[in-house]
Amino acid sequence: MRSTSGTFSSFGGLPEESAALRHLARVRWGLLVAALLLSLVGLATVHSASSEMGIDYLPRQALWVALGMVVFLVAFSVDHQILTKFAWPIYLTGVALLILVLFVGQEAGGSQSWLGIGSYRVQPSEFAKISTALMLARYLAGVNRRYLRLPQIAIVVLIVCVPMALVALSPDLGGAAMFLPMAGGMLVVAGIRWRFVVAGTITVVLLGTGLWHFVMLDYQKDRVMTFLSPDRDPLGAGYQLQQSKIAVGSGQLAGRGYQQGTQSQLRFLPARHTDFIFAVLAEEWGFLGVVTVLGLYAAYIFNGARVAGRARDREGVLLVAGLLAGFTFHVIYNTSMVVGLVPITGIPLPFLSYGGSFTLANFIIAGLILGIDFRRFVNR
Amino acid sequence: MKRVREHRDALVRRLPALQIAVAAAFVAVVGSYWFVQVVQGDYYLVLAENNRLKEIPVEAARGLVFDNDSRLLVENVPSYNLLIEVSRSSDVEKSLEFAAGILDRPKSELADVLERHRSAVRFRAVLVAEDLTLSEVAKFSASALEHPEFEIDVSHLRLYRFGHIAAHALGHLGQVSEADLRRSESPYRAGDLVGKSGVEQSYDLDLKGDDGKRVVIVDSRGRLLEEHDEESAVVGDDLALALSVELQQEAARFFEGKTGAAVALDPRTGKVLALLSSPSYDPNLFSRRLDQEAWRQLVDDPRHPLQNRAIQNAYPPGSVFKIVMAIAGLSEKMVAPHHRVFCPGSTKIYNRRFRCWKRGGHGWMDLRSALRESCDVYFYHLGKRLGIDPIARYSRLLGFGRPTGLDVAGEKSGLVPDAEWSLERRGTPWYPGETISVAIGQGPILVTPMQLASAVATVANGGFRIAPRLVDSQSPAEIESLPLDPKVLEFVRQALWGVVNEQGTGARARVPGLDVAGKTGTAQVVAQKTWIESEDLPAAQRDHAWFASFAPVDDPRLVVVVFVENGGKGSTSAAPLAKQLYEIYFRDFLELRRPA
Repeated sequence: MRSTSGTFSSFGGLPEESAALRHLARVRWGLLVAALLLSLVGLATVHSASSEMGIDYLPRQALWVALGMVVFLVAFSVDHQILTKFAWPIYLTGVALLILVLFVGQEAGGSQSWLGIGSYRVQPSEFAKISTALMLARYLAGVNRRYLRLPQIAIVVLIVCVPMALVALSPDLGGAAMFLPMAGGMLVVAGIRWRFVVAGTITVVLLGTGLWHFVMLDYQKDRVMTFLSPDRDPLGAGYQLQQSKIAVGSGQLAGRGYQQGTQSQLRFLPARHTDFIFAVLAEEWGFLGVVTVLGLYAAYIFNGARVAGRARDREGVLLVAGLLAGFTFHVIYNTSMVVGLVPITGIPLPFLSYGGSFTLANFIIAGLILGIDFRRFVNR
Repeated sequence: MKRVREHRDALVRRLPALQIAVAAAFVAVVGSYWFVQVVQGDYYLVLAENNRLKEIPVEAARGLVFDNDSRLLVENVPSYNLLIEVSRSSDVEKSLEFAAGILDRPKSELADVLERHRSAVRFRAVLVAEDLTLSEVAKFSASALEHPEFEIDVSHLRLYRFGHIAAHALGHLGQVSEADLRRSESPYRAGDLVGKSGVEQSYDLDLKGDDGKRVVIVDSRGRLLEEHDEESAVVGDDLALALSVELQQEAARFFEGKTGAAVALDPRTGKVLALLSSPSYDPNLFSRRLDQEAWRQLVDDPRHPLQNRAIQNAYPPGSVFKIVMAIAGLSEKMVAPHHRVFCPGSTKIYNRRFRCWKRGGHGWMDLRSALRESCDVYFYHLGKRLGIDPIARYSRLLGFGRPTGLDVAGEKSGLVPDAEWSLERRGTPWYPGETISVAIGQGPILVTPMQLASAVATVANGGFRIAPRLVDSQSPAEIESLPLDPKVLEFVRQALWGVVNEQGTGARARVPGLDVAGKTGTAQVVAQKTWIESEDLPAAQRDHAWFASFAPVDDPRLVVVVFVENGGKGSTSAAPLAKQLYEIYFRDFLELRRPA
């Protein structure tokens, strides 16, 4: 399982330069192209969404994208096997940051989940997800079984639950929920029996019921209730859902034109540069724009799936599968939320939504995935 | 190495299932967007437009109202109202405190107003104070930046220049009722002020005009961004009334402290020159939307000032009904003008004693002197000869028992009793003895002052029924020729001239130089067995005083009916007002006649 190559150059351990170039050319660059195109769409839409806000978020987001490309290169350059080797300290650092944020964190959007660094704020939960994915990849790669046994599943649950519970405490239920698809994706790939899936589902439902009654805050319950009957409170969370659907629907086939959407330009649409940015896009570019952007996401995800399919080591397959599962869930959930299919919760859209930590995290994920592809002949 | 490879393959084999699930999810999402954007897109586009466009109604100014001499009775004055949009206020309590400070009113008062509009406050601006002074307006405008939640709205305040003088004829405004709003094709919007009585109500559609609107583009906070469309308001039509302010003022002066009604109309056209009901009220109190207290006081007033006694209350007519008896008797040939009856002060009919108002009796009376002296005994015998049904028939012919058709809503029908009515409504047969009471306008018969004025107009104009009306319209009045013998009416007119001019009961209405004709009436409120002077009774049991008249007798141009509730004798309580009104109305005519 350990890399056969003994040298770790700054470029991640390559036998010879010509081979490195050859391998570089065979990387699924389509994934990066999709990510960059989505970032451009994101910049344009953030600009349109924030044009009536007093602050134009375009320059800030452009800076995040630029920084994102830098962290992409860093993540691409680092051998994921080194990362999994140091998974424990990385994972514990993530957990420590999550604990830290509970005490010294800054509040925004109803949850105390931000760490201030100078005038910038970062959200440790985004990075904790990656560190947890590394930890899971390391653990599951070491389990040499066709199907996981119950104690092993328990360990996985434990690894996930520590950071997840900390995020939920901040309280950011949407962010906490995002650990589940990532862990789920890795468990499925690692091999899990159906009976455990069923038992797990039942456990989650029971836990959910418990959460509803004993843990969830009123505004969180409110959002779920509003999803179940949107007319209940037309000026509260239902208002958000209704305005979002109006924005999406009024875009019709071809859209109302860039910066011509009345829902977003006249401020009817809340959180339009972050969680509801896809509604702005849908309003201004119509169904055609929606299909185009969803096509870019599909390109990213299926390029990523190809990377998982041809990675030569268990860590690689597991890591790509987990990161992709989380990414995919973000995309599907956010776009479904905007069109009113699922309850509103603070889940942003990768590469489109404004947000520093989230943008950086997604570029790190892209770098890790393509880095794994690059080293597929080395790491086995 | 191979082992590792196998394990890696085991992982990879599970990937396609995940990919299929993801692909399915993408298809579902794309399908949802297709449904919302392409299938339901038109619907959401309309919602988006409704979001963006806000209609601001532009209130049309109500038409003005003038009297018969083009004097302005009702106008509109600009009024500044304070509205608050709660959603724009960061702290409603502080906002109210700020407003209360400027308006110098307790904060709780403003909070109460806001509380009453609980359901509406979240969605639109709510009226909290009316009729602000210019300096108050300036203060709110100066602080528009710190308090964007306040809006000053300029609207029209209805001003009744003569206050209570013509309240019942002009009517007043009030907020449109739920029932009116629910009617199909209702031209009103919730909160509109509409006419609630008088001509304000009956001519509301002419007066109201057409509200305009401004369509503006607003953002989600309701801030006006730009004008989109404008539809200007159309001012309501002005209304010229037949009413004379002078007569109205004179009548109001007369009725100060009294209860009752007065009607003056032109018997040739039905134009109403005076319509007064006392006690009256100030219709200006209703022009504001918020002054609930004044309204409540009026509604609770035991003297019912809101009631229009000229058309909404019916009373026994007393002796003025003898006009109807004379017409019925002559027309039915049951009495000839020269037919004489001896009045000893009372008479016994159907084994019951009926008293004349004059204890000592009138002696020998013919029809003319019986009308002049208002001899009850003469009419008891006439009533007995006629029977109730002919009396009822002629009463109805002259317009009793149904609304006169005045152009103001709420007219009462009064009551014309007959045998059929008695069986149907009381379940007992008509007693002949009751006919004797009805013959002098007592018993169950009830008439409104307006009905009496209309009946007198028919006598005065030679047998035409004309619907009285307050508005001086150009279209010809509704005229109906009645099957009455002109000779009979001529006899009655001359007899009524005698009532006023030949030492009769109506002498107090005599105007030198003008041939006034009329009939007094004193209607008992409580049946009396003996001759008790009404003045000695408690106020509520005193007789009602009537005086029904017209002038000049040979070419009647004005009918005056005066009714004083619990006023005592018609000859002394009611007739003097008629005299005053004739003196004003015929002033120019009398000037010419006065010897140099």
